[in-house]
Amino acid sequence: MFSQYFGHYLLNNGLITAQQLKTALDLQKTTHVKFGVIAVDEGLLTSKQVEEIHEKQKQLDKRFGEIAVELGYLSNEQVEIMLSSQKKNHLLLAQAVVDQNYMTIEEFTKALNEYKRVHSLSDEKFEAIKSGDIDAIVGSLVQMNHTEKEGYAEYVSLFVKNIVRFIDDEVYVEASEANNVEAEWLVSQEITGEEPLWTAIAADEKVFLEIASAFAEEELTDADELAQASVSEFLNLHNGIFLVNMSNKGTELEMKPQKVDHASAVSVSKENALCVSVQTSKGSFQLLLSYLPESVVVFEKPKENQTV
Amino acid sequence: MQKQLNVLICDDSALIRKKLKNILEVCKCNSIEEAEDGHAAIQKAKETKPDLIFMDIVMPGKDGMEALEEIMKENPAMKVVMASSAGTNSYLKQALDLGAYDFIQKPITLEAITAIIEKVIKGESAHV
Repeated sequence: MFSQYFGHYLLNNGLITAQQLKTALDLQKTTHVKFGVIAVDEGLLTSKQVEEIHEKQKQLDKRFGEIAVELGYLSNEQVEIMLSSQKKNHLLLAQAVVDQNYMTIEEFTKALNEYKRVHSLSDEKFEAIKSGDIDAIVGSLVQMNHTEKEGYAEYVSLFVKNIVRFIDDEVYVEASEANNVEAEWLVSQEITGEEPLWTAIAADEKVFLEIASAFAEEELTDADELAQASVSEFLNLHNGIFLVNMSNKGTELEMKPQKVDHASAVSVSKENALCVSVQTSKGSFQLLLSYLPESVVVFEKPKENQTV
Repeated sequence: MQKQLNVLICDDSALIRKKLKNILEVCKCNSIEEAEDGHAAIQKAKETKPDLIFMDIVMPGKDGMEALEEIMKENPAMKVVMASSAGTNSYLKQALDLGAYDFIQKPITLEAITAIIEKVIKGESAHV
């Protein structure tokens, strides 16, 4: 999970290309993290010491840990700890990126520190994010872009969990600045009660069918009643779980039936709405939220712009 | 021989109707009727007198709570199981106050449906 976020940070900052990110994310599934990467990440060795050990490895038939211990850089206990860190997700990305010569270890470490600084992350929060804590990831992203919209974090966090649970385990979200979104397919649902919320999924037909197929657990190739029912039911199920969570906290909310609009555009107010770009391995779509459902305008796109 | 149930499914989602129907077929229900909203459910409940009704709550037109109320007025012995993704305290209380037989939280699972069918067959009161 963290790899998706940090990988996109690298991409957005021009540190790697989209193709390199894709290759690295694919590779990390089969990558075995090397000791050098872990040692630098844990702050146990400098990248210079790692290079020195790598040089020695070329001459000696010994493991990285053994040489590090012999050189007095690491204790046996530290090597044990590092062995258990080998499956750390963000390190798999690091290893894949370094193996492919997209970045050096130093560049990767620098970018990781910069990521931490830009997102104003405490060490504790950064640890939570590295270990894949969805609440921490979403909280920091939503907060960074919209301090006044912190209330949305809980909803978005649950949404990410439900995407992982029902649609795709590779998911990356970021707040987007859009307040006018055109959608080939727009599935919306209004939550009513003391804390009303308008919620919607906006997607093109390809991604719409991907979401529909994943949730229905069968391949759907037409955006027919069943496909529309599937995406609607996913949003309904997610909102239902959100309502249960809120109910357990003492806030009782209700839901209206979902609506499906085709070839429409939606306009939300920047002040009270949040657009979240949701990227999965099946494609990207938008999650739209507004605390003021009455301020949301859904209208049909002009005919000439419609996708047939 | 085990009793075979006649079941009515009421849900506005074609996907849920399909999934529930598949599960009920596995459970060897005798006949399975479908309704897309509360109005249709009330009508079909009168006509087919099912042994068990699975009822969604949030639906366009007449919602599941309204349909439950009318069905229970008509036939207080009817077994109506509310099936919703929103198992909030208020929905739960409202459903049980109106005489619902049970309440299941979506997503529906084979286990939950089988447990309800078995209870109905044994003639147990599920929530007592």
